[in-house]
Amino acid sequence: MTLRSVLMFFSIIGPGIITANADNDVGGIFTYSLAGAQFGYQLLWLLIPVTIALIVTQEMCARMGAVTGKGLADLIRENFGVKVTFWVLLLFVFGDLGNTAAEFAGVASAAPIFQSYVQAIPRWLFTDGLVILAAATVFFAVTRGNYKIVERIFFGFCIVYLAYVVSGILVRPNWHDVFHQMLFPHFTANKAYLLMAIGVIGTTISPWMQFYIQSAVVDKGVRKQDYAYSRIDVVAGSFITDIIAFFIIIASAATIFVHNANGLHAIVITNAGDVAAALAPLAGKFASLLFAIGLLNAAIFTASILPLSTAYYVCEAFGFERGVDHHFSDAPVFYSLYLALIVIGAGVVIVPNSPLIAIIFYSQVLNAVLLPIVLVLMLLLINNKRLMGDWTNGIIFNTIAWATVIIVGFLTLVSTAQLIFPSLGS
Amino acid sequence: MAFTDGFISEIVGRNATVNDIPIGRVSDFLVNSPDDTFPLIDGFVIKTSQGPRFAPIATIIDVDDEGTITLSVTPKDPAPRDEDALYLVADLLDKQIVDVDGRKVVRINDLEIANTGGVLRVVAADVGVGGLLRRLGLKTFGKRYAPMIYKRVPRAMIAWDSVAPIRDVNPAQVRLSIKESKLARLHPSELAEIIGDLSKREAAAVIHSLDDETAADALEHLDPGTQKSIIDDLGTERAADIIEEMDSDDAADLLAELEPEQQLQLLAEMNEYTAGELRELVKYEEDTAGGLMTTDYVWIYPHRTVEATIQKIREIAPQSEFIYYLYVLDKDDNLLGVLTLRSLLLSLPTAFIEKIMETDVVTVATNIPAHDVAATIARYDLLAVPVVNESGKMLGIVTVDDAIDAIVPEDFAKNLPRVTFNRRKHHAGS
Repeated sequence: MTLRSVLMFFSIIGPGIITANADNDVGGIFTYSLAGAQFGYQLLWLLIPVTIALIVTQEMCARMGAVTGKGLADLIRENFGVKVTFWVLLLFVFGDLGNTAAEFAGVASAAPIFQSYVQAIPRWLFTDGLVILAAATVFFAVTRGNYKIVERIFFGFCIVYLAYVVSGILVRPNWHDVFHQMLFPHFTANKAYLLMAIGVIGTTISPWMQFYIQSAVVDKGVRKQDYAYSRIDVVAGSFITDIIAFFIIIASAATIFVHNANGLHAIVITNAGDVAAALAPLAGKFASLLFAIGLLNAAIFTASILPLSTAYYVCEAFGFERGVDHHFSDAPVFYSLYLALIVIGAGVVIVPNSPLIAIIFYSQVLNAVLLPIVLVLMLLLINNKRLMGDWTNGIIFNTIAWATVIIVGFLTLVSTAQLIFPSLGS
Repeated sequence: MAFTDGFISEIVGRNATVNDIPIGRVSDFLVNSPDDTFPLIDGFVIKTSQGPRFAPIATIIDVDDEGTITLSVTPKDPAPRDEDALYLVADLLDKQIVDVDGRKVVRINDLEIANTGGVLRVVAADVGVGGLLRRLGLKTFGKRYAPMIYKRVPRAMIAWDSVAPIRDVNPAQVRLSIKESKLARLHPSELAEIIGDLSKREAAAVIHSLDDETAADALEHLDPGTQKSIIDDLGTERAADIIEEMDSDDAADLLAELEPEQQLQLLAEMNEYTAGELRELVKYEEDTAGGLMTTDYVWIYPHRTVEATIQKIREIAPQSEFIYYLYVLDKDDNLLGVLTLRSLLLSLPTAFIEKIMETDVVTVATNIPAHDVAATIARYDLLAVPVVNESGKMLGIVTVDDAIDAIVPEDFAKNLPRVTFNRRKHHAGS
């Protein structure tokens, strides 16, 4: 590599790594923890095919961004018309609202760990205060800085994810077991195992990420000639994401699963914060604190990106002024939508007796329904010669991509059906 | 024709009939001269079972306000594809255009057409929420169930005269005929701001559609990254033509950003003189006097009279941007003195330049940092400062506006109020 290409690489990386990390959000951490707590190391092998699927989907959007210079919402509007765009994006906004609420709920679930260090403050006050502080941080960090600074902050967030790696090592897992399970997977045909597998896949590839990564690549101004560097960025990001997931699964497998297996009283986890709490007696206060820091970081990180991305692509599709470098009066729709997502998302977490669980539940259902739709639209766009010229998918890539779409689509629909009708298949 | 006026979304999808027999549905509209003030619709595209067929406007007997379209004969030919022509649905609907009057990029939700004396014309683009609701089929719903809200939906129509379509094509592959573009009405800095909102390919297409001089002015105001990608997409020949028209300091900055190979190709396409100048300028560091300077200055001989000099300036001034300071040079380009345009005009016509020139000239060397150059200009209240080499040979000048650009932080420049021009007055004057 010449100096020039090294410099070029550093000016282009970012979108892939940031998007992939934002995907390890509160829902992701909870799902991975649950997978470790219930099945130990048995589901670790799944991370390998999931990484491939993640690379394939993210790469397509990054490529479309570099070749067309347009965002995904823009391309959908121009190629599928206003009706498809409107209804798809309307559902997306609701899906993203639920996801945003889930992130703030993650902040609330991590709060007790931190509150245990400052017991003078009542728990409810500390929790609500932390959620409001998180929402305010998210809003001001994004609207007051310029994008370059924001991107650097996001990069910083990515590094905090290393907390999970440390906490995964601190719990002293049985490395021999870990690698044995990873290389010689042990399949179980029972329903709980299958559902968990579907959950892991579903949480790793989410529809909104596709919009975000494409816009981020466009914003970077990546040119076709330099696209090879973006591809490295995407692949690196996907690997980093799944390495973090690997350590989250290990952390809860080596502690909660082992404890429950020997168990006198089983530890039940209902949210990601429970995992952090459970680590304290089993792996020490430091591992527990690190896990909670990781959780808080993930929640704030995704809460920064998700509403921003939503407001951006909605405005892009309908031709409103957008972007954080505009003033409020120049881009009122953009800022109103962004603010509404954060305020409502944080609001339902704070207000007692709000339909938080229902909102998160239905947003998961919506995401599952939207993912196959988005993936199909993406595949139609990327194979459009007029749009992509020589950059359409090759045969091999198309085969992998369609297979991913069909498998992911099918699995998410099955899991959704299970969510809605729990009696199915039992 | 019973049709008075309406929106194309209300006609698309309607049945087309010949002798009351349905033959297909309307799918698009052809406009051959989109640059006219209110261009004519030259025909409809009818989607038939054999594929899209073109019905010239003369064969269209009636466009009902509701219901069907009546044709005199069954259309046989496929739709023609002419490079200047526009298809309203395929090329414009849902696409971005530049609103030349509002000076921004907007998305077309619908197009308004009107029947003027028996012919159909495109009159305006609907870019508002009202157009969106109409397209979604929610107009009647809104009118009936939420009339108060519906009435408040902002209507945003842009007269066709202010609509500049953006062709999302690769300029290297298409030969657009370069005419008086609507975009040329914008100030170069506004044009640059608009181009910044477009995709790279659209940006290149917009630049390509402008004449060399306008394109060069706009390019000067763009950031290096955007400049680079536009140059890539334009192709060497056209890019060289445009760069030649740019101010030499901006042109040199742009060239310095490119790969050495591409730089050489572009220089080879330019005329000998400009290429020579740029080769010299490219060598200097960007943030120094050498990097900021332009070679576009006016120089005069010391032993001429004021009268002869004024005559000379009359001849060269139209090509020169900066004529307020006149630099007095000897045969070897050594800087002897400077004269302001004011003092030249106020001097006796018979006086010699060497007698009235200021010989104590403030100069800077090529390697002086931009900040110090700006400080020098500020300290001596200058409009420009000459750049000389060690032996006192004149190399160029740094003008006050280039010096300011170099030291104002980018973030600050972003927050400056957007320049607004009194456009009406501007038009009346021109």
